[in-house]
Amino acid sequence: MVWHIALFNIIWRELYDNLNSLRFALATLLLLGLMLTNAIVHLREHPERIQKYHNAVVEHHQRLEAAANESLYKLAQKGPGYLPKKPSSLRFCAEGGESYLAETAQGGHHRWGTDTLESFWILAYPSASPNRQNVRPVVSKVDWGFIIGYVLSLVALLFTFDSISGERERGTLRLTLANSIPRHTVLIGKFLGALISISIPFILSILINLLVISMASDVHLGAEMGGRLGIIFFIALLYTCLFLALGLLVSARVQRSAVSLVVLLLVWVVFVVFMPSTLASIAGGSTSSGPSLDFSERSEKLQEELSKEYYANRFKEPADSHKGIQMDSEYVTKDAEQQERLHAERLYQRVEQVNRARAITRISPVTIVQHLLESFAGTGFERHLQFLENVQNYARELRAFIDDTDRADPDSLNILGVPAGMSQKPVNPESVPKFEDTLNLSKDFNTAATELLLLVLFLMALISGAYLAFVRVEI
Amino acid sequence: MLITLIRRELLNNLMTFRFAAATFIMLLLVVANTFVLINDYESRLASHNNSVNMHKRQLQETNTYSAGEIRVDRPPNPLSIFNVGYDKQLGNEVRISHIYVPSLWDAGMHGSSNPFMDMFASMDIIFIFEVILSLLALIFAYDAFAGEYQSGTLRLVLTHPVRRGNILVAKYISAMLCLIVPLSISLLLSLILLTTSTSISLNTDDFLRISGIIFTSIVYLSVFYLIGLLISAITRRTSTALMLSMFVWGFLVLVYPIMILAVIPQHDAPQERKTSAYDKIEQMWQELDKERKQYLATDDFPGEDWGYELRGWGYRSSNFIMFGNPHTLIYKCRGVLKFTGFGEEDEYKMPHAQKHFRYLGPRIIDTADKTWLVRKPALEDIYIHPANTERIWLKLSPVGLYDAATKTWSGTDVRGVRDFFHAARQYRKRVNDFFIDTDVFGSRQWFSSDKGAADWSDLPHFAYQRVDSNINAMRALPDVCLLLMINVVLFIIIFLIFVKSEV
Repeated sequence: MVWHIALFNIIWRELYDNLNSLRFALATLLLLGLMLTNAIVHLREHPERIQKYHNAVVEHHQRLEAAANESLYKLAQKGPGYLPKKPSSLRFCAEGGESYLAETAQGGHHRWGTDTLESFWILAYPSASPNRQNVRPVVSKVDWGFIIGYVLSLVALLFTFDSISGERERGTLRLTLANSIPRHTVLIGKFLGALISISIPFILSILINLLVISMASDVHLGAEMGGRLGIIFFIALLYTCLFLALGLLVSARVQRSAVSLVVLLLVWVVFVVFMPSTLASIAGGSTSSGPSLDFSERSEKLQEELSKEYYANRFKEPADSHKGIQMDSEYVTKDAEQQERLHAERLYQRVEQVNRARAITRISPVTIVQHLLESFAGTGFERHLQFLENVQNYARELRAFIDDTDRADPDSLNILGVPAGMSQKPVNPESVPKFEDTLNLSKDFNTAATELLLLVLFLMALISGAYLAFVRVEI
Repeated sequence: MLITLIRRELLNNLMTFRFAAATFIMLLLVVANTFVLINDYESRLASHNNSVNMHKRQLQETNTYSAGEIRVDRPPNPLSIFNVGYDKQLGNEVRISHIYVPSLWDAGMHGSSNPFMDMFASMDIIFIFEVILSLLALIFAYDAFAGEYQSGTLRLVLTHPVRRGNILVAKYISAMLCLIVPLSISLLLSLILLTTSTSISLNTDDFLRISGIIFTSIVYLSVFYLIGLLISAITRRTSTALMLSMFVWGFLVLVYPIMILAVIPQHDAPQERKTSAYDKIEQMWQELDKERKQYLATDDFPGEDWGYELRGWGYRSSNFIMFGNPHTLIYKCRGVLKFTGFGEEDEYKMPHAQKHFRYLGPRIIDTADKTWLVRKPALEDIYIHPANTERIWLKLSPVGLYDAATKTWSGTDVRGVRDFFHAARQYRKRVNDFFIDTDVFGSRQWFSSDKGAADWSDLPHFAYQRVDSNINAMRALPDVCLLLMINVVLFIIIFLIFVKSEV
């Protein structure tokens, strides 16, 4: 029981030391300023995003309705239009490069038409290129990911770099250990003391941030959001522990605190600031052996080949014969199929490249924590992939619906792609499936599990390292 | 005496762990990243060359003048390895056509790049310097005075007949000498790597620009060293000085650039500016359309159709289209005819069609030039000026100044990129002159290739040279001067504090 009291005393002493220090005041100031900025920016930008999404949803519904009121053929030909991605209301937690990801997928864009035939809709994936004409300075966003990943980790190092080496320099460590307190208790005490003293400004700034955000009436944070925020907070603490352990490890190994800080800062700069982008450019650069033909050229070529074949045979048959209609249908559907495949192929190539880059950058803990925050905030690349999957599922659903409705019409020849071969009756707009993007937490958790594990592994390694270093150190 | 002091300080600094660690980290980061950056540059250059060839081929394959799309490509800047700036992100190909005046806002991007990869922050050598050099300077400076106050050596030194100014100067010179060592070694190594790469050819101008960058880096380094000295002189305790320096560093380098742009009010140009300019431009084109209709009504051919109802083998894009984008204030009129042959019965229409296009071509050029006079200042107001305001806010931190100055030296700032579009506009003039001189608009090949295809071989060639290094220097001058002024001011403040302080 004695060491319980000792632990408590050490934590208390550490807390007292820290709370009175300059670094505590500066850290509080910095975190508060950043969190307030984050809240203000979110309040300024989020309503616009929501409005944009709602407009896009309305447009999508109107388009479906207009086509359905005309005829089933029109619905099948025109497609659902732009399919919007639902913005996450936790975007202030992790921006996740969202501005580089498209907000919509495109379902239906008029590509060609002849006197009798028209191109069918395909699923295309327009890319957001926010920078192409942007002459403004580009800086990363102030999100929780930045505050936690960069600022909090730096603060954690500044809180621990002298916790052992400093005491050794002053000679107080010797004094403490003379009181028959086991070394691991001292270490745990220092660790917990630093953790608590960092948590205080961090929790304070988070609370103020959430208070400001929830005060605005149009930003609603529900119970599910609360759960997600809780997980994000937990991840932030885990990440802070990682850097605390690193600080203790170096502080125990190194004789002087100035040296300890230099080492820590250099490690921090390499792992946190430089590693993510350098590794990403290595991974991205080595694989960018794209196809030699330009995408639009390939697309045109496919289309040209198909139409050549079609026009070579089509006029041998009478225009309205069954065989002729069948040929028309084949032409239209095959064109839509191959164009859609081309778009999907390009998308998968790009996704592959990004996935490789993301996998490699995981060596840096800041990337891990940013990926984790993204997946719980419902933003970022994984979320975008989920959106694309939703879009593809929806496209299948809509096509199946058109197929079924066409079959249900006794007057239709059930030949897709040609006005003469399909039902010309209007469809009840209510029954047409509509696209609604969903955010799924359990799926998020699966993608996050590996990263969480990796983070915990890092932490275990560092904590045991710090323990070993401290136990064996001479005073 | 000064020499003795400098020697003492130098020894003190050189034999430290921080010096070794700093040099090692700098070398590691700069060399590793130079490899990556050279690779990146090479792949961008390859993509550029591909694209140039593709555009050439596509143009040669087009057999009527009206359907020909002349495109010019912006080559990647080799100095983007130092500061990538806007080199990668802004459009790198633009269409040259008589129907509009090309600008940055009309540019496209080569197709093969992956837009998702923009998510990852791009890295350059200046960014490494920005972060590491400032950190090093502060690490070298924090205990320069505070440490000597604490250990009492300052008192000892001052018992000798040494002037305080001399001590300050000695400290400054020796620390700067130490800090320049890792900077110059790493720069030298990256330059060696650059020159060994076959695809990068640097000329004398480039070396002048690079020396400008090096000079700016030293000035930047000195600013942070002086900031560290100031903190050290004020606080008088090493631990406080260190803590304060680190927070100042974190704020200036990491937090300020990100926070300031979020906090300042958004300077979006008023919507009216956009719409009024766009309306003006649209009106000019409508006037042209009216003139054209009048011409069609009074010429000796019946009917009002711009293409004289030509029917042949090939295509025409459906109408004489007018379309625009109020966002970038572009407005175009376009009609493409591309026939490979005509029936006998259409042959008599040909002279009329040719006459019409001969009439129309120069007028379209004139209208496009006229709209540019409206469009250019409007684009400046809407896009360039707000961006410049944001840049000024960023320059309140020495990091922003350094970044801006090195961007300007490398020619990857917005002005450097816009130089290309200026060259593209000059080229468009030459192409237009060529079209008018050789009567391309009035030729049969404008819309038909049945009697010989369009001949592109005499088309003027496009060559783009980056601006001279002295223009770069002129552009970088204000920022470098500001950095120098910060240096002087800081030095004077430190001097005053140090002279008046009690030991």
